[in-house]
Amino acid sequence: MKRRISIVYQGLRPVILAALLLGSVSCGEDFLSVKPQGVINANNFFQTSDHAVWSVNAIYNQLRNWDFTSFPSLAMTDIISDDATKGSFPADAERIIAFDDFTFDARFPEEVRLSWRGYYHGIFRANIAIDGIPRVPEINEPLRQRLLGEAKFLRGYLYFNLVRWFGDVPLITQPLTQDEFYSRTRTPAAEVYQQIVKDLQEAIAALPEKSKYSPADLGRATKGAARGMLAKVYLTMKDYPNAEKYALEVINSKEYNLLADYGKIFLPEGENSSESVFEIQATALEASYAGATPWNMVQGVRGSPNLGWGFNLPSDDLIRAFEPGDPRRDATILYVGEILPDGSAVVEDNPSMDNERYNQKAWTPAHPGLQDNGPSNIRVLRYADVLLIAAEALNENGKPQEALVQLNAVRKRARGTRTTVLPDVTTTDKTALRERIWRERRVELAMEQQRWFDLVRTGQAATRMKALGKNFIVGKHELFPIPQTEIDLSNGLITQNPMY
Amino acid sequence: MNRIPTFRWLILLLVSWLGFASAWAQVTVTGKVVDANAETLIGVNVLVKNSTSGTITDMDGSFTLEVPDAYATLVFSYIGYTSQEIPLGGRTNLEVILREESQLLNEVVVVGYGTQRKSDLTGSVGSVKSEELQKIAAANVTQALQGKIAGVQVTSASGRPGEGPVVRIRGTGTLNGASPIYVVDGLILDNIDFLNAADIESMEVLKDASAAAIYGTRGANGVVLITTRKGSRGQRARFNFSSYAGVQQVDRTLALTNGTEYAQLVNEIATNNNGRPPFADPTIFGAGTNWQDVIFRDAMMQSYNLNVSGGSEAMTYSISGDAFLQDGIIRSSYFNRYSLRINNEYNLIKGLKFGHNVAFVNSNNNNEPGGIVFNAYAADPTAPAVDDQGKFGNTSANSNVSNPAAQLEYNAYNRGYGQQLTGNAYAEVYPLKDFTFRSSMGFNLFNNRSKSFEPQFFVNDKQQNPESRLFVGYNRANDWQWENTVNFQRDFGKQRINLLAGYTLQSRGGESFGGSRNRLIGDTEDFYYLNAGDAQTATNYSIGFTPERYESFLFRANYALRDKYLLTVSLRRDGSSKFGSERRYGTFPSVAVAWRAIEEPFLKNQDLITNLKIRASWGRLGNDKIPSSAAVPTVTNNLSAVFGPDEALVFGASLITLANPFLQWEETTSTNLGVDLGFLDNRLTLELDYYQRQTKQILVPVPIPDYVGSSGNPYVNAADVLNRGIDFQLNYQGKIGKLGYSIGALGSTVYNEVQSLGTTNNALRDVSINGEFATLTNVGQAIGSFYGYQVAGIYQNAEDIANHPNASPVKPGDLRFADINNDGIINTQDRTFLGSPIPKLIYGFNLGVDIAGFDFSADFNGVSGNKILNAKKMFRGFGIPNFESSFLDRWTGAGSSTTEPRITNGGYPNFVVSDHFLEDGSFLRLRSMQIGYTLPKATTQRLGISNLRVYVSGNNLFTWTDYSGYTPEVASENVLQVGVDRGIYPIARTLLAGINLSF
Repeated sequence: MKRRISIVYQGLRPVILAALLLGSVSCGEDFLSVKPQGVINANNFFQTSDHAVWSVNAIYNQLRNWDFTSFPSLAMTDIISDDATKGSFPADAERIIAFDDFTFDARFPEEVRLSWRGYYHGIFRANIAIDGIPRVPEINEPLRQRLLGEAKFLRGYLYFNLVRWFGDVPLITQPLTQDEFYSRTRTPAAEVYQQIVKDLQEAIAALPEKSKYSPADLGRATKGAARGMLAKVYLTMKDYPNAEKYALEVINSKEYNLLADYGKIFLPEGENSSESVFEIQATALEASYAGATPWNMVQGVRGSPNLGWGFNLPSDDLIRAFEPGDPRRDATILYVGEILPDGSAVVEDNPSMDNERYNQKAWTPAHPGLQDNGPSNIRVLRYADVLLIAAEALNENGKPQEALVQLNAVRKRARGTRTTVLPDVTTTDKTALRERIWRERRVELAMEQQRWFDLVRTGQAATRMKALGKNFIVGKHELFPIPQTEIDLSNGLITQNPMY
Repeated sequence: MNRIPTFRWLILLLVSWLGFASAWAQVTVTGKVVDANAETLIGVNVLVKNSTSGTITDMDGSFTLEVPDAYATLVFSYIGYTSQEIPLGGRTNLEVILREESQLLNEVVVVGYGTQRKSDLTGSVGSVKSEELQKIAAANVTQALQGKIAGVQVTSASGRPGEGPVVRIRGTGTLNGASPIYVVDGLILDNIDFLNAADIESMEVLKDASAAAIYGTRGANGVVLITTRKGSRGQRARFNFSSYAGVQQVDRTLALTNGTEYAQLVNEIATNNNGRPPFADPTIFGAGTNWQDVIFRDAMMQSYNLNVSGGSEAMTYSISGDAFLQDGIIRSSYFNRYSLRINNEYNLIKGLKFGHNVAFVNSNNNNEPGGIVFNAYAADPTAPAVDDQGKFGNTSANSNVSNPAAQLEYNAYNRGYGQQLTGNAYAEVYPLKDFTFRSSMGFNLFNNRSKSFEPQFFVNDKQQNPESRLFVGYNRANDWQWENTVNFQRDFGKQRINLLAGYTLQSRGGESFGGSRNRLIGDTEDFYYLNAGDAQTATNYSIGFTPERYESFLFRANYALRDKYLLTVSLRRDGSSKFGSERRYGTFPSVAVAWRAIEEPFLKNQDLITNLKIRASWGRLGNDKIPSSAAVPTVTNNLSAVFGPDEALVFGASLITLANPFLQWEETTSTNLGVDLGFLDNRLTLELDYYQRQTKQILVPVPIPDYVGSSGNPYVNAADVLNRGIDFQLNYQGKIGKLGYSIGALGSTVYNEVQSLGTTNNALRDVSINGEFATLTNVGQAIGSFYGYQVAGIYQNAEDIANHPNASPVKPGDLRFADINNDGIINTQDRTFLGSPIPKLIYGFNLGVDIAGFDFSADFNGVSGNKILNAKKMFRGFGIPNFESSFLDRWTGAGSSTTEPRITNGGYPNFVVSDHFLEDGSFLRLRSMQIGYTLPKATTQRLGISNLRVYVSGNNLFTWTDYSGYTPEVASENVLQVGVDRGIYPIARTLLAGINLSF
């Protein structure tokens, strides 16, 4: 027995020795420690001031995303409202009709979910920046504060749209960890608004005025943008004293002026004009489409000469809303037979289109690349908007005379050289003046993705929609449905809006 | 009480006698064992008669044995061969020829890091020989495994030339990469796309832990071992030429609405929506365009293989050249491959062997225009392919898809070129008796190139390209693997022992770069270089892949007692770079036993049962098939913003996805119980296995709510999954007069169940279609089960709607869903499990007949018990795509239909995920049928030809299925997305003629 064991052992011994020998040459940790190639990873991000700048630029980048600049955003702002219809020919993107006739639900069409997702992706990038920038070891301190201010402005703006669309939404202000992925619930809208106010106030404190930025930074969020946005937030919250305060701060900063010619605001030369408070910056580059948006293409003339898709068409109701002779009508609507603003061609009739006319504010002259290389900046907040916010707040605060100053400034500019149209408003009756301001907002800001928010904010949505024979249900359609996928993934912790 | 001393006494006696016997040994006998074809036999038992001393023949068929005297008698036995007793008669060198008893068990099978006699196997290993592999005409050899090995499911993901299938061994063991690894002559690879069937000697599939645990963290999904053809020592040069050529065609086309029918349905949709019917007179369109006829064609396929092999005492060689040329059944697609393989081995000096197995492969292919299968399915049939003026018809206007004919004209240049050098070089040293040291350096280098070109064209406003554009891409990979093993093998009379220890390193890496330019100065192929484009439009990229590295220690012991009791123990310790430093190493053990009861005395005196072996194994394996960067979140570049008066693009970068630094590999615990039975001289054999695979800590890219904001889903060690079932393989070989025949059947059942989803316990949802997820992976259900509404009928009228629970707006003619939770309303809570995409049974059977030089074979395979979601039918999107003819049976008024709803173009309820779109995926297919004729040897030998066979054959000749799509094989590498048919490249039916010639 002993002998056999020893034979086995003798057999085994070289094997064991060999194994030990081979084991001793193990390369171990060094061999197995590899780094991702050509990319920075989470462990070495936010090490330099460049990293901080990049992380904030990445938030702006998201604003040009499809979810922000095409069907999802247009369907949930203009098309659903009384300003516009789906557009194109009937069978094209037929599902978008759901926004015209109020048959959208938690699943269809997917545009509701795309907006939700796109906005939360933007919020994620803002949270990454706000979380990481304070950790950057060496950075010029004013730059650190400015970047944080920009990120907070953008986060506030994103939540502002989300809360207006969906009501209570999960309020997430830092990147979530794994155990939090499924545990969030919808935060009451009032708390979301508090966070928006906080973000925007911190942005106001941190951001420089437009004129204090270096030219290369043109287009970044400014103190004025944060103030103007906050004024609009307060207006939506019906906190009129604060709305007045922040709108007047913008006005009194003397940073902005109305552009003399309304029609020029939306042309390339009107980008970042004196009237611009905040714009989503875009450009058509020659080599890649990395600076573009689909915004021009989706709304462009369908057929000759612009080769766009022809969605989001101005409605008959919008046309009727303009006062006789209001030059803004022709600056807003591009008709068949009309000469293009740059004089290059005439819009030709496309027989497959119903009610053919286009959103002139999304028109753009020839540019490098194809139609999806859309170069237009998207005007998010104009000085005229701020003046009308001021007017509305002042009226609500019992200062009709001061309100009229702001309102008539907007009308005067719209009137231009035509002295016979758009006379100054003179009424000081609070209700009548409120009506006039709301009407002014509609035509001044038509087709600029403001109308639906104004209809819901002012409680006019139900009456306006019903007047147009639409299937608007009070208590339901003021808010969009929470995407069903979100409810499913949260195992029901995320609840649905009423009646969906 | 006195039994113990007796037992001890017996052992003492036995041991001292053994020691005595071996001490006595004096004469050394050497020899070689070959079969009737002079091929060497490995692992033949050589015993001294009436003693326990003996040995087995080595890789060259040689043996060396100590015998008591030069006049002893040796007994040569080998499973499947008739045993022979040969008196030495004073000789010390023998050449022995063993005759085959039956072909079935005459096998040495390749196992990880070595070979084993099949009779010694303790684990579950399936084996397929070269001839079987060559029955299927396909670029990818794995296709030929379909229906050949119990427990192996092979599903074509697409019929695109050159494309490999999806392989699952014993169910789906993970929610992650569930494909096996491929080990070609020892080199671990993820696919064997480059291999030619004619170059393969055998394929072995390691199914259970006992066989696969030696591959540790890579082995959990099973291991496919491939041995390529090699020369034999002392064999004169033998030439082998084989070739086939044939034609492929689409198995069947789909019934879609024709021009008139489509126009009528479109008008009806408009009317239902109170809109304006766009077609004034649908009847003018008649049959219209059947776009399937536009894209499909009969396509050629050819293969040529020439091999020469042989060897002297000093070396063996096998050199082959292959050409494989396949056109796709969709116009413009093709795949061509040319390869050269050199497998040589050199005995340079005594005790040292050196060799290499090297393949060089050159391939080129062209892919069909993107999305053309779906476009042909969805395109407006009222539009002409080309109109009277020679312009392409407008399919964008109504159906909003590109005109497939125009795609074939403008989007058909999608070239790929591949060069691959794969193989190994090794040395074997025998410094001590019974020891083999082996060091092998494996490598897999490839360079791929792709080019696609789109000219400037205008079909309509949605199908156009205003500027010509060229893309080029280069891709390089550089993988190596260094393996060092030491093997000890010795027979101690009735005991045999084989020990293996090893250390291996593996590294994979690579990079890619490429670019694009617009406005090329010419439209023909000679201009397809970036410099021929406008530099202002240039884009470029260069990407480095995160290296993957492995360090492994391995050990295995095989022990056999009296050829009756077999034991295998293995252990592998693996380190992987994919995981964080604290969780880098894992240990994977296995143990297996087998009992060859046929050797027991009580089975000796009968001749009904000729083989009986019972096997049991247990082991633990790992799976690490996740992206190598899943544990570390990376920063995404080029998230640029636009700033400044010049509208400059300003660089941006950020984290946009989450990752999980605490990742670990998955662990599969695998148990196998099996029995091998042979009857009637092993003419009838049965292998039966019961298996259970339990996988824990499955890595899942967990779908997370959008509010988290991450652009991708992070991996989490979340789930547990169970697979269990039975594999069986039954074969009978018989002869009636001169007619030989064989019948075989095999099958495998799969029971797949998710047992846990970790602490978060979130069901995994995937396949988002029309705003809902179509699959739900939840505890108690199979992976990727279909989930949605159950159709209870169709609302026939307003009263019907009033009388049933329903969700918001439904109209008469809409689908009525079952109120699953009986709460009186139909809402998302009423969705339920609708079936599983995983077949409950996978099976195959085959028959073969040969007489007078003719041979005939037919192989069938099938699956049953799975569902397919006909997702292409659900897609409505923009425009109004064409309809399947089944839509014509639509509801048009009370009582008109109880199964097909009224015509709508998407939306709730008729197009949400429900069993309305779910179909039975069961099928039975005549996979291959072959009739061959081998010319009589007498005739051919006069011509100097040793063998000449000609044959005609067909692949996929018939498929019996209820599924309405092109093919019931709907696969996905993503286990949460299996069985979802979005319009796949159909699998072809093939008719061939071929020749095999040896001289």
